[in-house]
Amino acid sequence: MRTRRSLAPLAVALLLGLAPAGLRAQGAEPLTVFAAASLQDALRALAEAWQQRGHAAPRFSFASSSALARQIEQGAPADLFMSADEQWMDYVAQRDLIAPETRSSPLGNSLVLIAPADRARPVALTRTTDLAALLGPNGRLVTGDPAHVPVGRYAQAALEWMGQWQAIGPRLARADNVRAALLLVERGEAPYGIVYSTDAAASQAVRVVGTFPAESHPPVSYPFAVTRRAAGNAEARALLSFLTGAEAEPVWRRFGFIVSR
Amino acid sequence: MGWLTPEEWGAVRLSLEVALRSVAMGLPPAILAAWLLARARFPGRPLLDALVHLPLVMPPVVVGWLLLVTFGVRGPIGAVLNEWFGVRLVFTTEGASLATAVMAFPLIVRAVRLSLESVDTGLEAAARTLGAGPLDRFATITLPLMAPGILAGGITAFAAGLGEFGAVITFASNIPGETQTLPLAIYAATQTPGGEATAARLALVSFALAVGGLLLAEAVARRMWRLLGRAAPS
Amino acid sequence: MLEVALSHAFPGFALEAEFAAPGGVTALFGPSGCGKSTILAAVAGLLRPREGRIALDGAVLLDTARGISVPAERRRCGVVFQDARLFPHLSVETNLRYGLRRAPRGAEGPGFEAVVALLGIGHLLRRRPLGLSGGERQRVALGRALLARPRLLLMDEPLAALDAARRAEVLPFLARLRDAAGLPILYVTHALDEVDALADTLVLLEAGRVAAAGPVEALSARTDLPQLSRRRDAGALLACTVLAHDAARGLTRLGFPGGELVTPLRPEPAGARLRVRLRARDVAVAVTEPHGLSVHNILPCRLEGMSEAGPQEVFLRLGLGPTTLLARVTRDTPSRLGLAPGMALWALVKSVAFDRAAAAGEAEPATPLPATPVLEPAP
Repeated sequence: MRTRRSLAPLAVALLLGLAPAGLRAQGAEPLTVFAAASLQDALRALAEAWQQRGHAAPRFSFASSSALARQIEQGAPADLFMSADEQWMDYVAQRDLIAPETRSSPLGNSLVLIAPADRARPVALTRTTDLAALLGPNGRLVTGDPAHVPVGRYAQAALEWMGQWQAIGPRLARADNVRAALLLVERGEAPYGIVYSTDAAASQAVRVVGTFPAESHPPVSYPFAVTRRAAGNAEARALLSFLTGAEAEPVWRRFGFIVSR
Repeated sequence: MGWLTPEEWGAVRLSLEVALRSVAMGLPPAILAAWLLARARFPGRPLLDALVHLPLVMPPVVVGWLLLVTFGVRGPIGAVLNEWFGVRLVFTTEGASLATAVMAFPLIVRAVRLSLESVDTGLEAAARTLGAGPLDRFATITLPLMAPGILAGGITAFAAGLGEFGAVITFASNIPGETQTLPLAIYAATQTPGGEATAARLALVSFALAVGGLLLAEAVARRMWRLLGRAAPS
Repeated sequence: MLEVALSHAFPGFALEAEFAAPGGVTALFGPSGCGKSTILAAVAGLLRPREGRIALDGAVLLDTARGISVPAERRRCGVVFQDARLFPHLSVETNLRYGLRRAPRGAEGPGFEAVVALLGIGHLLRRRPLGLSGGERQRVALGRALLARPRLLLMDEPLAALDAARRAEVLPFLARLRDAAGLPILYVTHALDEVDALADTLVLLEAGRVAAAGPVEALSARTDLPQLSRRRDAGALLACTVLAHDAARGLTRLGFPGGELVTPLRPEPAGARLRVRLRARDVAVAVTEPHGLSVHNILPCRLEGMSEAGPQEVFLRLGLGPTTLLARVTRDTPSRLGLAPGMALWALVKSVAFDRAAAAGEAEPATPLPATPVLEPAP
């Protein structure tokens, strides 16, 4: 008798732990949004507005678009995917992981060269600028990994346009995502970094010393889509509409994004 | 040789170098910390114990961030290193080694401390009666008897160091040839489309290195126990 | 001369001891837990007593009142531990040289080869402690302590961890060491046969206090020390000299101050000095001189006193010149024989009472030993 009684709480605990998580109604569950790291500040502000409209706060996962795409591919439970370049959205679209009719690219961004705030002097970014010389003999340029991080890909394109890729490529410090790159320039570890203008605006410790001309790189484009698994979820579609709609536009602009409709 | 690209071999060599350096960096302070925790009596001892074990309980990325704040050129220690010695740690192999050493530190301290506690203090007392002062005793009696435990700690650190990722990528960043160790290379490969084959190859190499290192350590440890004239614990 | 005075407290036990060790071998004798090892540790500097003063030949090693405490590594007290404590990672030779290497310049003491020869460990030099027997390990430990050129040797029950055969092997080496080294030795033990074999002075410890201290022969003849007198083998210890052998009859004559003893033939040469324990229970008395007995030893003596030796037994203290013997008899004997102090009696001791175990002293090793070399101080 005594053993049975002491086993009961244990059994309850086990059952609770093992019970399927989806016991709540579909619609009431908070949404999961996978978004590129550079979108995080703006998205948090938008999430507040979304909540004020009476909805549940969405759960965010911010990382490089490459990491997120890979996770979605492996079955991660994302409802919305907000990538920092078309290539990674294409990647998931090819694998039939999004609802293609929900895909749109409402945002753009510009690519800038940043330096630590106390060492910032303007740099003209033209085809003749010797950026490698500016780095000095030991300095490194920090940006995302051009192999897979969108900002790194844009940066490589821009450097190739400047004719500097040969010189600077080997001296690149490859960060995992754009925010990590920003951190390293903030800490003064690298004299220069290449990030989005929106990221530079978010940090007090760095200054923009030059903006890459639009023609030096493919346009920075942020495609958004609802994932295949959330295709039937009205709440997910509603959130996407909100984020791409008129009410969100001033918020995006406020954070420095270029809004194209 | 054609199985891995030159860049990949570079990552293998770098991993070995970083892991070995991290052990070299971590052992002396670990021996000191182990001695303080095992033998010394001072008011802040529980605090030291907690501090030593911090890297074990914190996320590696946080450890990397703390290292950045402390050892980066704007950090209290990093600034001194940079201005007085011209030494920079971020983006360098030394930095990757430091990050790896910090993450492995608690493991080394534990192994060394256990070995220190297993040294018979009666032998040290005998050495005293034969005229050996404290440093003499430590060098001629305590340390040699701790050697198998220190070796075990070193091997553990080496194996752990081969796999360290979060702290290294946050503190030293990912620079092929300088800081792109095997874990970082594997991670980059998993992120790149079509990189699965590369990732698998590198993971296999990583596994082989770790297993090889551990087997070597076993063999050396047994030899050392025999040299010590004791029976190895089974 | 080693002067020791200290007090120290453990949970449930208080040590309060004071004695002087005049040189030669001083045995600290007592049951387990009486504090003898604590005293040794304090003299060695491995333990700091709550209060105390320890001085060797006038040099102060410890004086808590004046805040003086010489660290153990500078006291130059060689210690032989019960468990040998040889360094397992070093060879026997390196172990032996460990203290020698750290001895101060100009310290006098025996040379390496002499000590190795004395202790018969030459064939072990290359080996590691792990493979040695208990007896071999203790001999190496003795050598190591001696080679450190100490001013005083401390031995903490060095034979206690050995079985009977090993003890019989090592005891002679201890005797040789005592004779050859010429160092004062403080010897902790709870085995009376070791005391008989080695000690000159005996310090009796009981429950943390010194019950008695003095020359070992004198203490052995006292009946007021229960630690000694309650033992079944209690009896007087006699310092004898071998006078002559009679091989034809298989007898040896031993002389002691106050008389002679006849024993079965002994191996020691004439002139050798020997200590012999006369167990009180092997001594009978006669009021008139007996004749026609098988007993060889019929010794005239004077009854000096009687005291209780247990519930049914009585000690008789018999004086033969300067020597006192003890006899243990039943309680009714004094009244039965009409004994009174001052009476002239005869003490009767059977020769065969002196078996090999009862006679102790200089070595009876299994293999014949060369003459003990005098250890010259090495340059």
